[in-house]
Amino acid sequence: MEPDKKVQSPEKATALSVEDRAFLQEVVERDRVEHHGRVSYMDILFEVEHRYGNFLPGEVLREVARLVGTSVAQLNGFVTFYTMLSTKPRGRHVIRVCTSGPCHVTGAPAVMAELERLLGVGEGETTPDGAFTLEGSSCLGICGVSPALMIDDDAYGNLTPKDLPGILAAVRAGGAQ
Amino acid sequence: MIRNQLLICAGGACITSGEKSVKDVLVEELAKNGIQDEVQIIETGCMGACDLGPIVVVYPEGTFYQKVTPQNAGPIVSEHLVKGRVVSGLLYRQPTSETRAQTREEISFYTLQVKRVLRNCGVIDPLSIEEYIARDGYFGLGKALEIGPDAIIQTIQESGLRGRGGAGFPTGIKWKAARDASGSPKYVVCNGDEGDPGAFMDRSVLEGDPHSVIEAMVIAGFAIGAATGYVYVRAEYPLAIERLEVALTRAREYGFLGRNILGSGFDFDIEIRIGAGAFVCGEETALLRSIEGKRGMPSAKPPFPAQAGLWGKPTLINNVETYANVPPILINGAEWFRSVGTAKSPGTKVFALAGKVQNTGLVEVPMGTTLRELVFDIGGGIPGGKAFKGAQTGGPSGGIITADYLDMPIDFDSVKELGTIMGSGGLIILDEDNCMVDVAKFYLAFTVDESCGKCTPCREGTKQMYQIMERITDGKGTPNDIGKLKTLGRVIQQTSLCGLGQSAPNPVLSTIRFFPDEYRAHIEDRKCPAHACLHLLTYSVVSEKCVGCTACARQCPVQAITGQVKKAHVIDQATCIKCGSCYEVCRFDAILKE
Ligand SMILES: Cc1cc2nc3c(=O)[nH]c(=O)nc-3n(C[C@H](O)[C@H](O)[C@H](O)COP(=O)(O)O)c2cc1C
Ligand code: SF4
Ligand code: FES
Repeated sequence: MEPDKKVQSPEKATALSVEDRAFLQEVVERDRVEHHGRVSYMDILFEVEHRYGNFLPGEVLREVARLVGTSVAQLNGFVTFYTMLSTKPRGRHVIRVCTSGPCHVTGAPAVMAELERLLGVGEGETTPDGAFTLEGSSCLGICGVSPALMIDDDAYGNLTPKDLPGILAAVRAGGAQ
Repeated sequence: MIRNQLLICAGGACITSGEKSVKDVLVEELAKNGIQDEVQIIETGCMGACDLGPIVVVYPEGTFYQKVTPQNAGPIVSEHLVKGRVVSGLLYRQPTSETRAQTREEISFYTLQVKRVLRNCGVIDPLSIEEYIARDGYFGLGKALEIGPDAIIQTIQESGLRGRGGAGFPTGIKWKAARDASGSPKYVVCNGDEGDPGAFMDRSVLEGDPHSVIEAMVIAGFAIGAATGYVYVRAEYPLAIERLEVALTRAREYGFLGRNILGSGFDFDIEIRIGAGAFVCGEETALLRSIEGKRGMPSAKPPFPAQAGLWGKPTLINNVETYANVPPILINGAEWFRSVGTAKSPGTKVFALAGKVQNTGLVEVPMGTTLRELVFDIGGGIPGGKAFKGAQTGGPSGGIITADYLDMPIDFDSVKELGTIMGSGGLIILDEDNCMVDVAKFYLAFTVDESCGKCTPCREGTKQMYQIMERITDGKGTPNDIGKLKTLGRVIQQTSLCGLGQSAPNPVLSTIRFFPDEYRAHIEDRKCPAHACLHLLTYSVVSEKCVGCTACARQCPVQAITGQVKKAHVIDQATCIKCGSCYEVCRFDAILKE
C-alpha cells in the first residue's frame, strides 16, 4: 500500500498542532514517571497509535523520538520490527485472523477467504471506507476454540464463514457510536 | 448469607463463546427470583475444557453445567437454585455411556489430571487477592523470607524443576548463577511472550492466577538479590495484561510488593512490558533487547542473561509456568514436587490440546504421561471417527509424534529421540485428513515469516526450503528434492545463532522421517493422499450418481457447476476454487474428490 501522502510528506512534518504536542508530551512524561525514568516504548506507541487512527504518522514518530530522547532512525527501527505497530494508515478496526497451525487445520483459510470476499480487500489491506484493516496473525492463544480471530481487543472463536457477516455488522454498528 | 456460589469460566475461550451474556442472564434471573443476596457469582480463570464453554459450576454441590447459552441459562437459577432440581440437559454427557456427569470429578477429562500449576485456575476469582491468599497464596513467599536466599535456591535445585519455556534448563542452577553473578542492580524477568502457535497455558495462568506468578517473582528477586522485575506479555493477550495490572495493584496494597515486604526489609516491585507480534522476542536475549526498547534480535550466548542481561546487568529469566511451580515447592518441599513425574523431569506439565481432538483445552498431567492417555483418555479421541495420524509438539520448532509412539512416556528427554521437542506444551492433534507435507510447509512458512534476519542460513535457507516444499505440494517436485531438504535442513540447524533458526527445519525433517510415502506420493504420483493440497486436488461429478438436484450448483460460491435440473451436472475445472462446498452438500455421494 502507498503511504498516505497527506501524512508522510515533509512539508507536513512540522504540522503537529499545539494539542498534539501537548498530548504526546503528556503520554511520554506519564510513562516516564510510571516506569521510574525508563520509558516503555511499546506502551507509549500503543497509546499514541490509538489516538492517530491505528497507525503512527511520521511527524508523530519524530516528536516521540525527540521526547523520549532517541533518534528517529532508532525508533523507526523499533516500530518496523513489531508487526502490531504500523506506520501505514489502518482502518478504525483491525481484524487479526489467526493463521497458525491449530486454526489452519480447523478452517482458518476458509475464514480468511470469506473475510476477503465480504470486505473486498486482501490480507494486509484496508477497506475503502476506512472501517476495517484485514490482517493475518500468529496464534492468539485461544486455540481451544479455533479457528479464531480478534477485532481490536475482542476475540471470536469456533468460527465458520457463516458467522462472519453478523460479526462484521455488529462491529460496524458498535463502532458507529 | 451466601448459600450458593456460581463459578463462571471467564477464560479467553469461554469469553468468545458468550460468557458475558450468560453472566448477564444469571444476574437477571437471580434478581427476578429475589435471591441475589444468597448467591455469589464468581468469574474465574480458564477451567480448561474450552470446547465445552461457557461453563458454569454451582457450589457447594459442584454441579458442572456445560455449553450454557443465554437462552438455556435461566433454569440454573429457577430450577437448580430455587427448587433444588439439577438441570440435567446442561450436564456433560459421558462419551462412552448414556449417563451424564454431575461434577468435574466424574469427567475423565478432569479426573486424570494433576493440578499444580493450574491449582487456582477456574477455582478462584483471579481479581481477588483474598481468594488467592485463602488457598495458601503468598504463604510460599512468607516461608522464603524466613529461610533465606541460599535455602530457597537449594530447595529449587533439589526439586529438579526444569524450565517450562521449552528448553528444560534446570531452574535451580539458573537461580544460583544469577545469585552468584557480580554486578548490580539485578533483574528478574518473566517470559510471557508465548508465541508458540497452539500454546496457551501461559495465557491461562496469567489470566486465571496472576498472583502465582507475582509471588514467585518476588521469591526469585529475594533469592538472587534483585529489586525490580518485569513481566513481558504479548499484546495479543489484553485480558492477561488487564488482570495482571489489577493483581499488581492488590499485591502492593497488601504489602507483598513495594518497600519492606512483609517487614523483611526487602524491596521489590514489578512492571509489565508489552510485546507486539514478533515470535523471536520469546527468545530470552531478544526479549531483553525488546524490554530495553530495541529491535528484538537475539544475541550470541555466552554471556548468558544471568551474567549480562537487561542493560548488561545480571538477569534471571524464566517462563510463566516455571514461576507458577515455585510457590507450592516452597510450601510443600522438593520431595513433594518430585513425587510425580519422571526422575529427570519431575513435576507436571500443562499441555494445550488443540486441533483434531474431541476435548480441546488445557490439561495438566504428570511428566511421563503417554500421548495415548493425553489424546484418548483425556482428550476423548478424534472427532468424527477419524484416525489419529500424529501430534505436532513444540510448534514450529518441533516435529511429529506418530501413532507408533502413542505409548511412549512424554518428558523433556524422551521426545528428543524422535527428533522433536516437548517445547512449551502445545499439542496439535492431526488426523487422516491432514497432509503431513502441507503441515510441515505450513510451519516453515511461519519461521520464514518470523526469522529476524540476522543470520543468513535462517533468513535465506528457510526460504529455499520453503520453495522446495511449495514445489512439492504444487505437484512439481523432483525426486532429489528430499535430499536437498535434508542437506539444507542440517546446515540451517548447525549454523544459526538462536533456537528459532536451529530448530526451523525440524517439522520438515521429522515428517520426511516418519511419512516418506506421503512425500513420495506428492513427488512421484502427483497426488496428495490426504486430499489437502489444493493444487493436487480435483472435484468432479460422477455422472452415474448425479440426480441433478442442483444442490451443488446453488452452493458453489463461484458458479463453477452447471447442468439442467434432473440431469447430471459438470464442474468447470478452470473456475473451481476447490472449496469443497459441493462435496459437503451432495447427498448422493456424486462428487468425487481425488
Ligand atoms: C525462537 C524462540 C522462541 C521462544 N519463545 C519462548 C516463549 O514464548 N516463552 C518462553 O517462556 N520461552 C521461550 N523461549 C525460550 C526462552 O529463550 C528461554 O529459554 C526461557 O524463557 C527460559 O525460561 P525457563 O528456563 O523457565 O524455560 C523461546 C526460545 C526461542 C529460541
Ligand atoms: S537464527 Fe534466525 S531468528 Fe535466530 S538470530 Fe539468526 S536470523 Fe534471527
Ligand atoms: S492457533 Fe489460532 S488461536 Fe492459537
